[in-house]
Amino acid sequence: MLSMKNVSKVFKTDLVETHALRDFNLEVNEGEFVAVTGPSGSGKTTFLNIAGLLEGFTHGDYFLDGINVSNLSDNKSATIRNEKIGFIFQGFNLIPDLNLAENIEVPLRYRGFNAKERQRRVQEALEQVGLASRLKHLPTQLSGGQQQRVAIARALAGEPRFLLADEPTGNLDSLMARQVMELLENINQAGTTIIMVTHDPELARRAQRNIQIVDGQVCDFTMYHQGYRHVSDINAATDIDKLVANADR
Amino acid sequence: MFFYYVDLAWRSIKKTPVLSLLMVLAISIGIGITITTLNVYKMMSFNPAGERSDELNAVQLWSQGPDSWDEFNSLVTYQDVMNLRNNTLPKRQAAMFRTGMAVQTEDANFAPILESIRVTDSDFFKLFDVPFLYGSVWDKSVDTEPAYQVVINDKLNQKLFAGQNSVGKVIYLNRKPYQVVGVIEAWDPKPKYYDPTNGAFNDTDQIFVPFSLTPIEEFDIWGNTSGWKFETMNSYSDRLNSEKVWLLYWVELPNKDAVASYRSWLSNYVAEQKALGRFTDTKSAADSVKVSDVATWLEYNHVVPEDNKILVGLSVLFLSVCLVNILGLMLTKFLKRAPEVGVRRAIGASRGQIFAQYMVEVGMIGLFGGLLGLAWAYASLYGLSAQFEVSKGLTHLSASMWIITPSIAVGTALLAGLYPAWVVCRTKPSVYLKSQ
Repeated sequence: MLSMKNVSKVFKTDLVETHALRDFNLEVNEGEFVAVTGPSGSGKTTFLNIAGLLEGFTHGDYFLDGINVSNLSDNKSATIRNEKIGFIFQGFNLIPDLNLAENIEVPLRYRGFNAKERQRRVQEALEQVGLASRLKHLPTQLSGGQQQRVAIARALAGEPRFLLADEPTGNLDSLMARQVMELLENINQAGTTIIMVTHDPELARRAQRNIQIVDGQVCDFTMYHQGYRHVSDINAATDIDKLVANADR
Repeated sequence: MFFYYVDLAWRSIKKTPVLSLLMVLAISIGIGITITTLNVYKMMSFNPAGERSDELNAVQLWSQGPDSWDEFNSLVTYQDVMNLRNNTLPKRQAAMFRTGMAVQTEDANFAPILESIRVTDSDFFKLFDVPFLYGSVWDKSVDTEPAYQVVINDKLNQKLFAGQNSVGKVIYLNRKPYQVVGVIEAWDPKPKYYDPTNGAFNDTDQIFVPFSLTPIEEFDIWGNTSGWKFETMNSYSDRLNSEKVWLLYWVELPNKDAVASYRSWLSNYVAEQKALGRFTDTKSAADSVKVSDVATWLEYNHVVPEDNKILVGLSVLFLSVCLVNILGLMLTKFLKRAPEVGVRRAIGASRGQIFAQYMVEVGMIGLFGGLLGLAWAYASLYGLSAQFEVSKGLTHLSASMWIITPSIAVGTALLAGLYPAWVVCRTKPSVYLKSQ
């Protein structure tokens, strides 16, 4: 489903080179629910941006749904984002001037669906997140949890192959966070692959697989917990137990 | 998607009404001023002869003596006109000048009115494609055998005969009875190319009488008379035989060969006149004749003054300044919405779609600016007309301007919006998604 091989991302300024990702390797299978954790500045968001084709990368190969997306044009990237990927952000990122239905149909419009098809999908997506009655409400008229559910509905309306969620519960209280997490689990159970960046260890534990990113490299803890103690391409100087402690923190 | 973009543009405009209004105002003022000057320029530089511009030619002769005028006069002498009329080479030809007389009808209650009158030949009407409502022009024979016949226009016919077919009726010009033989339809070419010497943008004449009556009726001249030497004028006959220039002469020459032949004939004519002691300047006979088509004629008579061209240039410059201001305002407005663009890009909008969305918004602002600019232009022209007694022909907002104005406004706004829309469509979504 998603395969990154030796992906590196270097941010350059006149004075400094920052390696956000270095020889990053990751395989995510169809239908998986993967939680990505790691300390601030470790490269989680950069990984998510690259995974979502929002940013390019410096070296390596990235295959998404069997397509090599390493050097895609802007138009092609936009099409793949629109058709295959759903995004959920910490800050919801709903467009404040548009009501819920209009927000949800934005990606559908770019995809060229007709009004009838858009309406059907909007209705279905809102029903799925339990907000079908709030069709005409503006985002500001909803609570944070409801807004995030609308964002999820927007991501789902296009029936994406996988969802990328960046701290989806970061701005929510624990009750709301739990509801959103349950929603994501339901979506995953329906077959959608989910990659979720989170700082919340409790949420991370609910995912099928945990990935720790440290210094721009990945460590697969599911395998670690299974006793393999395998760390893919991790910096030799890094103590694996510190990483575990970090992940559980 | 276009209508979706229009909807988004309208929402965006409503969301920032002050900024949007500023942009619309800036465009409208720039457009209003440009269109006002452009309209005046267009009206002045219009060639009403259209396709016949090359066929219709005005004749000018260098009849002056040495050390007098240093350019061709637009007018010619009566004796030259009478000689030129003998040539049958032109398909049609007409001499003309402007006079004025008191007009009366047989209705005793009708108060006399003073009207401008064109004294001309029968060919005038076909030369300049004058449409007839009733009747026709006087017979060709009247050009040589004078008859008291008259052609009036529809406007005067309304005034004198309530718009009825007045052919056969009589009107009195300076108390002399003239029989109406034709009524022409509304006809008001602007500029009045057949006689720019009497105000190129004045209204056309309402009455036309045969030129052959000139020596009999001794019509006053309501136009320019110029002389390059002193000549005693004791009688109208003295005027007719003088070197004074006061008549216009037009010929219809169907092609370039005909023009060349006619020019050659004119050169011979001037040579003959030189032999008779006229045309005393040292200029050669060939150089003493000028046959100008309508476009050349209008240019020669400075129908569009140089100042007007400069004014158009300045107004375009002013519009450019407005556009630079709009560019700045748009950049501010669009960059403020970069986070929203980031979201749209993330969920599938291509750069092209974002660019199109913002260009539609820019176009919409341009359209509003254009419509308001049209109102400014209309008001400015109305003000010019009311305050400065400028000819209505010049201050009339031409039909094409109703299309041209919004088009220019939208076009220039799109030009100003190119850079801001380009900048915003290149927004990196990842920069804004986290920070929102």
